[in-house]
Amino acid sequence: MSDDELIERAAQELRRPVRMDPAVDARVMATVHVLPRHRAERARGWWAWLTQARTVRVSPLGALAAAAAVLVATVVIVPRLSPDAASEQLAATTDPVALTQAAAASSVDSAHVVQFVFVAPTARSVSLVGDFNNWEMDATPLEAGPARSVWTVKLLLPNGRHRYAFVVDDSTWAADPGAPPAAGDDFGMPSSVVTVTGSSS
Amino acid sequence: MQWAVGAAFIVVASVAGAQDARLRDRLDSSTAARVGAIIDSARFAGLPTRPLTSKALEGASKGAPGPRIVAAVSRLAGELRSAREVLGPASESELDAAASALILGVRRADLVAVRSARSGERLTVPLAVLADLVAYGVPPEAATQAVVRLAEGNGEDEALLDFRRDVERDIALGAPPAAAAAVRLNSAGLAETAARAGTDVQTGGPPRPRKP
Repeated sequence: MSDDELIERAAQELRRPVRMDPAVDARVMATVHVLPRHRAERARGWWAWLTQARTVRVSPLGALAAAAAVLVATVVIVPRLSPDAASEQLAATTDPVALTQAAAASSVDSAHVVQFVFVAPTARSVSLVGDFNNWEMDATPLEAGPARSVWTVKLLLPNGRHRYAFVVDDSTWAADPGAPPAAGDDFGMPSSVVTVTGSSS
Repeated sequence: MQWAVGAAFIVVASVAGAQDARLRDRLDSSTAARVGAIIDSARFAGLPTRPLTSKALEGASKGAPGPRIVAAVSRLAGELRSAREVLGPASESELDAAASALILGVRRADLVAVRSARSGERLTVPLAVLADLVAYGVPPEAATQAVVRLAEGNGEDEALLDFRRDVERDIALGAPPAAAAAVRLNSAGLAETAARAGTDVQTGGPPRPRKP
């Protein structure tokens, strides 16, 4: 038998159909379905779902609801999460109970209770305005002492420099005579500055 | 696609609205827009924006006209930028204190000197004390010399704050600001020398316990 004949016989043998159990396909597929899907394949599936162009039908009411949800999330939730807003909320706390709770909850190294004192024997009201309360005149009223001449308020302020002033009877602005004047009297009404630090101010 | 673009627009618009809400509420629309542009520019440059917003709100509460508010915010933004150029990476309070010092007439070279005296440490208190001294009327050169010497010597924030309080008290009692700073600086130097030598020197102020 020549080499060519031998090769041809081997080829014929290899070409002959293999007899297999007709149920083998079903068994293999059942086993495959039981196995966990490959992670990369799942990711490709999600990516394909995300990138596939599709038509989305939204009613006007649904679109308005979605827009409202986005607005609420950004206007209400995001500012609460920002450190600036947290500092301002911390600084604006004047209620003694809330103050104590805030002091207990906050890091001792990052905020300190600062007492502001202003002497105004003839004043009907004195309020504190500054960086820490957005310069809002109604935000931080001072309380008068028994003789109604010494006005005080305590605030929990974060470390750093804070500009402030007093407003007497809702009309007269006054700097704190016991504190350094703030730099740059840009608006013709002087302010003061307090430096809150880890040691003292 | 249009829906996604619309949603993105809503998100961007609402975020911008949240940031500018305080300014919109307290300033007229033109002033709010101009101040907002300055703040956006500062944010883009990596500068703290809270001092700028606060400056605008201060102007609004004090009833300042819009152009004056814009000028004040713009000036502060410029000084914050200068402070950052001098100090490099710095915290908001450090930049704020440095900007205050620059507004009061302290030179950029003086800020460099303070930074060198406190290399690698927090600069808020030295810079704040420098600004406070100049605000009390101490000449910028004398104030810088005092802060640098104290920062290099004792090095503690408490010593700097004590020094500022002493100078403030002397000025309130009638001492010329430059003389008050010079006398207190000499006293601090004597006390420092005495502490190193282990002797007691009367400095003129009340005795203070030293930290171990």
